[in-house]
Amino acid sequence: MTLNVLQIVPGTSVDGPGLRTSIYLAGCTHRCPGCHNPASWDFGGGTVYDVDELADIVISHEFNVTLTGGDPLQTPDVDALVHLLRRLKAAGLNVWAYTGYTLDEALKIQRIRPVLELIDTLVDGPYVEALRDPELHFRGSSNQQIIDLHKSLDTK
Amino acid sequence: MIQTIIKRDGRVVGYNEEKIKAAIRKAMLTTDLGEDEALIQRIVDRIGMTGKERMTVEQIQDAVELALMKSPRKEVARKYIAYRNQRSIARRAKTRDLFMEIIAAKNNDVTRENANMNTDSPAGMMMKFASETTKPFVDDYLLSDEARDAVRHNYLHIHDKDYYPTKSLTCVQHPLDRILEYGFIAGHGESRPAKRIETASIIGCISLETAQNEMHGGQAIPAFDFYLAPFVRSSFIEEVKNLEQVTGSDLSHLYNVEIEDYVKKPLEGLEGEQRLLQHAINRTTARVHQAMEAFIHNMNTIHSRGGNQVVFSSINYGTDTSAEGRCIIRELLHSTYEGVGNGATAIFPIQIWKKKRGVNYLPEDKNYDLYQLACKVTARRFFPNFVNLDATFNQHEKWDANDPKRYLYEVATMGCRTRVFENRYGEKTSVGRGNLSFSTINIVRIAIELMSIQDKQERIERFFERLDEVLDITARQLNDRYEFQKTALAKQFPLLMSRLWNGSEKLGPNDTIESVINQGTLGIGFIGLAECLVALTGKHHGEDAASQALGLRIVSHMRSRANEYSEKFGHNYSVLATPAEGLSGRFTRADRKSFGVIPGVTDRDYYTNSNHVPVYYHCSPRHKAQIEAPYHELTRGGHIFYVEIDGDATHNPQAISDIVDLIDKYNIGYGSVNHNRNRCMECGYEDATENLEKCPKCGGTNIDRLQRITGYLVGTTDRWNSAKLAELRDRVVHK
Repeated sequence: MTLNVLQIVPGTSVDGPGLRTSIYLAGCTHRCPGCHNPASWDFGGGTVYDVDELADIVISHEFNVTLTGGDPLQTPDVDALVHLLRRLKAAGLNVWAYTGYTLDEALKIQRIRPVLELIDTLVDGPYVEALRDPELHFRGSSNQQIIDLHKSLDTK
Repeated sequence: MIQTIIKRDGRVVGYNEEKIKAAIRKAMLTTDLGEDEALIQRIVDRIGMTGKERMTVEQIQDAVELALMKSPRKEVARKYIAYRNQRSIARRAKTRDLFMEIIAAKNNDVTRENANMNTDSPAGMMMKFASETTKPFVDDYLLSDEARDAVRHNYLHIHDKDYYPTKSLTCVQHPLDRILEYGFIAGHGESRPAKRIETASIIGCISLETAQNEMHGGQAIPAFDFYLAPFVRSSFIEEVKNLEQVTGSDLSHLYNVEIEDYVKKPLEGLEGEQRLLQHAINRTTARVHQAMEAFIHNMNTIHSRGGNQVVFSSINYGTDTSAEGRCIIRELLHSTYEGVGNGATAIFPIQIWKKKRGVNYLPEDKNYDLYQLACKVTARRFFPNFVNLDATFNQHEKWDANDPKRYLYEVATMGCRTRVFENRYGEKTSVGRGNLSFSTINIVRIAIELMSIQDKQERIERFFERLDEVLDITARQLNDRYEFQKTALAKQFPLLMSRLWNGSEKLGPNDTIESVINQGTLGIGFIGLAECLVALTGKHHGEDAASQALGLRIVSHMRSRANEYSEKFGHNYSVLATPAEGLSGRFTRADRKSFGVIPGVTDRDYYTNSNHVPVYYHCSPRHKAQIEAPYHELTRGGHIFYVEIDGDATHNPQAISDIVDLIDKYNIGYGSVNHNRNRCMECGYEDATENLEKCPKCGGTNIDRLQRITGYLVGTTDRWNSAKLAELRDRVVHK
């Protein structure tokens, strides 16, 4: 099982609380105007990693993890992503993920449900340039929300 | 008959008549009649025979002048005199150029040696003139030949050389309790013991300021919370007494009532004595807040050293768990968070949080809430930094949670990093002691000189031999300076040597300080471990495990040599990870001139700070911590670990505590977090954008971009020297 990874950034402070390892997964179809990284839209971009190898690297950094991209919820190989997340959760790591879908949209996509169940916190919604606000914590535009998925999945 | 000549720099050399002949010949050649070898020989013979056994250069030149005047060739005499004058001006020209640059208030690396100093002010200029003319005096008259040569050839830098003739010591951790309890005399004022928090806070400022004028380094308070706590209670009692007057009732049973925490609460719903008690607490808390604000404000405005420099001050705190100590810590942090003036970040004092398990680090610890607050404050204001009392080498066998004076056994640091703790000549403590002097070795140069040796093993072994030679010279130079310093009289340092320095209370004004200063430390510093390793192995310690092993071997070696010197000379020698502000460019410039541009070694404008991973090297904060941590144990004279984080730290105070967790986990002694912080001076808008030029809110361009240089902060990079500016441009965030 493999995943296309644009970049692994260990120790960043901008993608969630504390120091975290961000994994940039390749591919996104939302194409938000003003996207800061259009090169990440290509699902075939980045480097192909064996999932276990990727998990080993990320776990070795000993930081909590943030999935970003691209849109990690659009990763073509859902099984591979689930396997990665299981490994990370088994190592006791907390997982954030950024997506261009809103929470409601994401919940309607059946195939990504197992992914959502392994994520602790979701930052949802497309980046809307008109709503950009640099004073927001961990978000680009004010339409986006930071969601505790444990609570959301329990109630829906 | 002349035997020896005393040269201008004081050295004595054998008499050589050829030099005199050459000078006369030169003068003759500029005249129409040209040279006259017979006359030259007659004059030289006469002077050689009739002169005294030992003469100065000037005396001989006078004699030549007289002889020429008496000769038929008076025009040669005129040329000779003119030539002498020219030479004399030329000798002074270097000083003149330097003076002209200082006068023009130019920004160059001479005037920007220290970013904390304003060399544009009259007092600052005056000091710079003195400083620049004192240094050659020290070279000529106070240094040994080997030390002078090592400095001249760029192997060694003697810090604060301009202060050398004054016999001053570097720094001290103030036992503020002695000052507060007994009062002191400074200048023309006699201070009585403090009675309330406002006075105690001011006396703290005056103590730091006064001692700064008696020393050449920084000033620190090792246990700010413990020292000021009693005055929180005395101020509270004052408030209760006020209430006794208002109510006409006896409230003396409240004077020493147990108070859980001094926190402001609304009086609504409170009745009777409960209401009075809370009112007194509210008033006390407000006064403490005000006193902390005043302390910070004073430390940023009181100038020392003739008015050109704010006091280089630091305060350590965080471990006093009493309600009063907690009140000091809380209000100090709140006040720091708010900022000074219109909310700008205070540059001084450098604040240092004393992180200790069982006291303030674990969630169940009494001061854990204040530690969380400290992380929040650092995220916005860069301070406090964190000193790790749990590091194996920072622990003290005598520390006891029930000892009210346990702070005597808690390590405290100078904000810049200087650490004084172990002691062969008195009690192991940071309090009432300091560094005496320090000198830094250019280990890069030693390595560069051996790069032509092809065999790596041989190259490395030769490096250790050369390092030993320079270490020996350095140890002797520090010992020489100590021998000179110890002859100072106590009255030269009125506050330091009557109250602050341990044991000074038994000195009379005319006693020498010899009996007490051996408790201080002599620092052997180093700079550019990264470049040194690149020169020796091709890779620095951040990128290669073998280089890291060699780096540790080098610094371990320096540490064991320092211990040997301690035995041999009978002092506290320690190895220091040198902060090197003015030095970071000077060594590099000179080495590039000698050896050219060597990739990874002399190709930047600076050498990397001490044992740090180069600022331009991309790596995660954990990797940086793992690489740098083991050097902390070895550098007992002081060290600092930095992480540059990306993004806006105020959005993520947990990132700060995660870095403290790295400090805890990897046994790091002292560390802090660097990040971007901009503040629009027009509207107060703040963010963390890199290189912000224009305020996104009001469009103002007066942006205060805060940066850290060698441990302390500067609000503007105008006074940074060129090497440190280059380093700043190269800094990468660690992620």
